[in-house]
Amino acid sequence: MALDRLFNVARKEFSDHITSRRFIIILGLLLVISTISIYDGIENYNNSLEAYTEQLQHMEEFADPYKSWMPQKPSIMYVFISMMSYMTMLGGILAIAIGFDLVSKEKETRSLKSLLSHPVYRDEIINGKALGGIGALGFAMALALAIAVAMLLLFSVVPTVEEFAAILVFGAVSLGFLLAYFAVALTMSTAAKESGNALIYTLVIFFAVSSLLPMFGAMAANAFAGDPPEAPEMGPMPKEVVRVASSNGYSTTSVAQSVVYGGTEDPAWREYEEEMQTYIEKRRLISDISNLLSPQMNYYTVAIAVTNPQLSSMIASPYDTATDEPAGLAGALGRVWMNIAALIVFPSAFFAAAYVKFMRMDIR
Amino acid sequence: MIRTENLTKVYNGKPAVDGLDLEVGEGEIFGFLGPNGAGKSTTILMLTGMIEPTGGRCFVDGIEVADDPLNVKKIIGYLPEDVGFYGNMTGEQNLDYFARFYGMDAKERRERIAELLELVHLDGVTQKAGEYSRGMKQRLGLAQALINDPRVLFLDEPTANLDPEGVREYRELVTRLAGEGKTIFVSSHILSEVREVCRTVGLLAKGRLVAQGTLAEVARALAPSDGDAVRIVVETRERLPAIEDPAIIDIERNGNHAVVRAKADIRDRLAASLFEQGLHVREMRIEEPEIEDVFMAAYRR
Repeated sequence: MALDRLFNVARKEFSDHITSRRFIIILGLLLVISTISIYDGIENYNNSLEAYTEQLQHMEEFADPYKSWMPQKPSIMYVFISMMSYMTMLGGILAIAIGFDLVSKEKETRSLKSLLSHPVYRDEIINGKALGGIGALGFAMALALAIAVAMLLLFSVVPTVEEFAAILVFGAVSLGFLLAYFAVALTMSTAAKESGNALIYTLVIFFAVSSLLPMFGAMAANAFAGDPPEAPEMGPMPKEVVRVASSNGYSTTSVAQSVVYGGTEDPAWREYEEEMQTYIEKRRLISDISNLLSPQMNYYTVAIAVTNPQLSSMIASPYDTATDEPAGLAGALGRVWMNIAALIVFPSAFFAAAYVKFMRMDIR
Repeated sequence: MIRTENLTKVYNGKPAVDGLDLEVGEGEIFGFLGPNGAGKSTTILMLTGMIEPTGGRCFVDGIEVADDPLNVKKIIGYLPEDVGFYGNMTGEQNLDYFARFYGMDAKERRERIAELLELVHLDGVTQKAGEYSRGMKQRLGLAQALINDPRVLFLDEPTANLDPEGVREYRELVTRLAGEGKTIFVSSHILSEVREVCRTVGLLAKGRLVAQGTLAEVARALAPSDGDAVRIVVETRERLPAIEDPAIIDIERNGNHAVVRAKADIRDRLAASLFEQGLHVREMRIEEPEIEDVFMAAYRR
């Protein structure tokens, strides 16, 4: 494979994408929505910051008895949380829109035969097409992030170095998500004879992995984990700590219970607590495995880890008592390494399938 | 310049090209004839390195195509049947994209493209290739096949979408290119097209080469066998009387017209006999089979 030929294909594909009406319209929509939601996010951030400052002042003025409990300073990454929801929808559509006819259109217009008659290997063509598409999606993502950062600066919100790194990681994770659907679309475009069919197959996979799979995962978890253990009939009222964490498109509830009776724990309640923990872990394991196959779920998990490491930490360890220690970006990413790996494996598998299919394609 | 050895391509257990042995010399204009589905395009795809043969080998300028398709593509040009382009790009942009694969620098590309667009009368056309008529696409196809100034040119049904003027220009161009020493391989199912430009032909039917040589040689080889019999067409002004000669096998008579099947060419004796009987001979000739009929018969076999 020669790089000059590969880049020739990639250059043409990239140029085709960014000048196509389809790409410009969807990207325009994405950027408009992105701008509005970032504006909303900045307002929310400013309100949270104001509330935080007031809380600090209040604690200092009244010698608050909960002084040891420090309110958490809002992060500007909260601004990006709203980006997740439309990125999964509009971003997914953008990725599908640029990929679903990449090969099938060349078959339909017979330009593939003309192209292959010149000195270029098939792998250079398919890799060049993939590279051009990745470049176009990267360009879209970079534009969205650039607008977001520009708006932050416009509203005098200056990210720290760590926050800036988090923004870049968020962009990379979002790009990874877009690549998942771009890879699916490219594979379907290579497998299908007509672009219309390629689009339908891609949409079927899109909805299957984004909606059906998590639903089946939850059903499978219910089926395999069985009924939850029953609480003991007699006993003292448990001391219950309920933590509810929610974000756009993702919410979790964790319950931690501990029962103290006369200075010693009630063995029945302790046993119940252990059974409940096992039950929840079993359910969670099955649902996590099925979620790993869904780019959406992986994206949500990783993006939450980047934008809100504390929430991510609570989701990952619901039985841990709340810690006041702020979880760092690296730590949060470390906890979701499987989801990061899945976000890499999913598009890689589809790119590999597209490659193999294209190399064996009948070009009569 | 072009050689195939037992070249075979099988699709779904069915041979599209079956043990093809072919040889085309340098500078020849070779017509590859055959009905639709005979395996002509499949043969070209193998010769241009776009598909791999199931069996056998093929060579272009001594390079085995399956072993080194890229180097073969550097010295050949190919105009596919129903050629296609990128509809969102102009003809010039399409040619520029293809030219980049040959390592031509910007100046070289610009000059070559301008020269080719002028050659195919598409210079000054600013519309996108997606808006081209089929004839314009065909002419752009010819330009893209010539982008690298190839030594061997493969043309698959080159006149299919051309108007009469386009066909005339195409013929002139092919003759000129052959004059420059290029080998031209023209695939067509239209005999009249091939006989206009080609010096040698090969006839393919059901994936097999039926005959190869000059048109006259192929026609002779394919003519229906009538033993050593000669068919003589006779027409007189008057009604034909009974004709007798020991060499005559049979006569098909129709008023003043007859077709005489004889063991040898007995035209001199026949003419003398008719003259002696006071008849005026209007026509007397040996009947050669029509080349179209010969090819049609071979197509149907």
